[in-house]
Amino acid sequence: MKLSVPQFWRVRESLYKILLTKCLACGRVSVFKRPVCPYCGSARVVHEESQGVGVVENFTKVYYKQDSSEDRLPEVVAVVRLSEGVRIVGEVVGVKVDGVREGMVVEAVLRRYASDDPYGVIYYGIKFKPLKQDSTQ
Amino acid sequence: MRAYVVGGSAVKVDRHFELGYRDLAYSVLSSCEVCGDAEYVVVASALPELMAHQVDLGVHIVQWAGRRVPVVRVESGESSGIAAVEVATSLIRSGAARKVVVLGVEKVTEYPTYIANRMYSLILDYEFEVLRGVSPPVYAALAMRELLRAGFGRECFSNWAVRMHENALRIPHAMLRFRISPESFKDAQVLAEPVTLYDSFALGDGASAIALSSEPTGHEVAVEIVYSSSEVGLPAYARDRISELQASTKLLKQLRERFGVDLRKVAVELHDSYTPYPIALLHSLGYIDTRCDLGELEFVNLSGGLKARGHPIGATGVYQVYEVFKLLTGGFDGVSVGSEVGVVHSMSGPDNVSRVLLLRRWK
Repeated sequence: MKLSVPQFWRVRESLYKILLTKCLACGRVSVFKRPVCPYCGSARVVHEESQGVGVVENFTKVYYKQDSSEDRLPEVVAVVRLSEGVRIVGEVVGVKVDGVREGMVVEAVLRRYASDDPYGVIYYGIKFKPLKQDSTQ
Repeated sequence: MRAYVVGGSAVKVDRHFELGYRDLAYSVLSSCEVCGDAEYVVVASALPELMAHQVDLGVHIVQWAGRRVPVVRVESGESSGIAAVEVATSLIRSGAARKVVVLGVEKVTEYPTYIANRMYSLILDYEFEVLRGVSPPVYAALAMRELLRAGFGRECFSNWAVRMHENALRIPHAMLRFRISPESFKDAQVLAEPVTLYDSFALGDGASAIALSSEPTGHEVAVEIVYSSSEVGLPAYARDRISELQASTKLLKQLRERFGVDLRKVAVELHDSYTPYPIALLHSLGYIDTRCDLGELEFVNLSGGLKARGHPIGATGVYQVYEVFKLLTGGFDGVSVGSEVGVVHSMSGPDNVSRVLLLRRWK
């Protein structure tokens, strides 16, 4: 993975925060900061930051090798329904890959995505880990 | 003005280490008897910048072929081939050209598979999906899990793959011309649980060409492009269910409502990059229930589909049109259909964009 410096600078907000787009026309909330609502196309939107807490709705254990992922496999990628009602897809860490299950309460954390090389940029972004208060773990 | 497919050709989908983009393109153009006097060439290719460091591929292909006709390249991820057919059809219908060649070409074996995987994953949104570890097989796995929860059995998906391999046995240009059994899934390499390598398309290099003409007479056979339509779907993460292929379902329902198309009675090529997708689509259209009986869908993916014919990403749509053209006008080595009508369905990613064509034999 090699992002240009301008691209990395541009995307930093969406890497470090879970931003939501709330549509004032249809009322639906979508994930990521967007200029228009993906459901109705309205530009009457406001943005807010998610609390970063959600529930695992679906997940898969991934073995698919790509050139930035081979040192982490297998990894778990999950569909997380955030407390604001929207879904986001992201990696689940901080738990054994066989320990992830549907219904698990998770919270967003900053973790390393990849790095260019030993002396290059290290890319951090949002992943999810089990919430400590989730007594069902 | 109407547009007709009047001929075509295809290179076997395979690992053509000895051939580059230009070589594959020239090879298929040379074997396409009706492609010679085109007034315009539309090239479909998704990955040449990444795979071969080549921009403006269409121009370099036409120069290599010793021609001077205008050319444009079309890229729309996995659906590039059908997008190119849409552009070529528009050129014919508008009167801008009387004959157009659509040439799909792709190289996917220039690098080790894990690097090709990375490039292929870029059909998804890089900043919102790929950077976060989401790849096409991840979505396929999540979709399969949804379908399993809805009552489908694992064997439903295995049976699709088995059937595609069986179909590919008689297709000369298919990549995987061998049988597999449902039992073989047990030992198959897992991509993303529960999706295995056997649930995935075959990644191969390829090139296919078709010739479109405004005039069907004077050609041995002709198939009219009656209708084409495309639709952009919601991002997969923004849907209620990832297996909900709304754009594809809408387009194929339109074909049924407007033209009376019944997929049990016509030649159909469906985009089956991963086994959950055709199953989800046929279910949402009402052709199958959770028992997954494909018995009445005998003309679906006679080519072997992306699963077994292979999936040279940006070129695949042109293969699909060539195959339906052949099936409607004589068939492959005894593989033919009784119908005069054919349907091609293509999509990129899990229904990020969907495209359909309706074809009808003219003579």
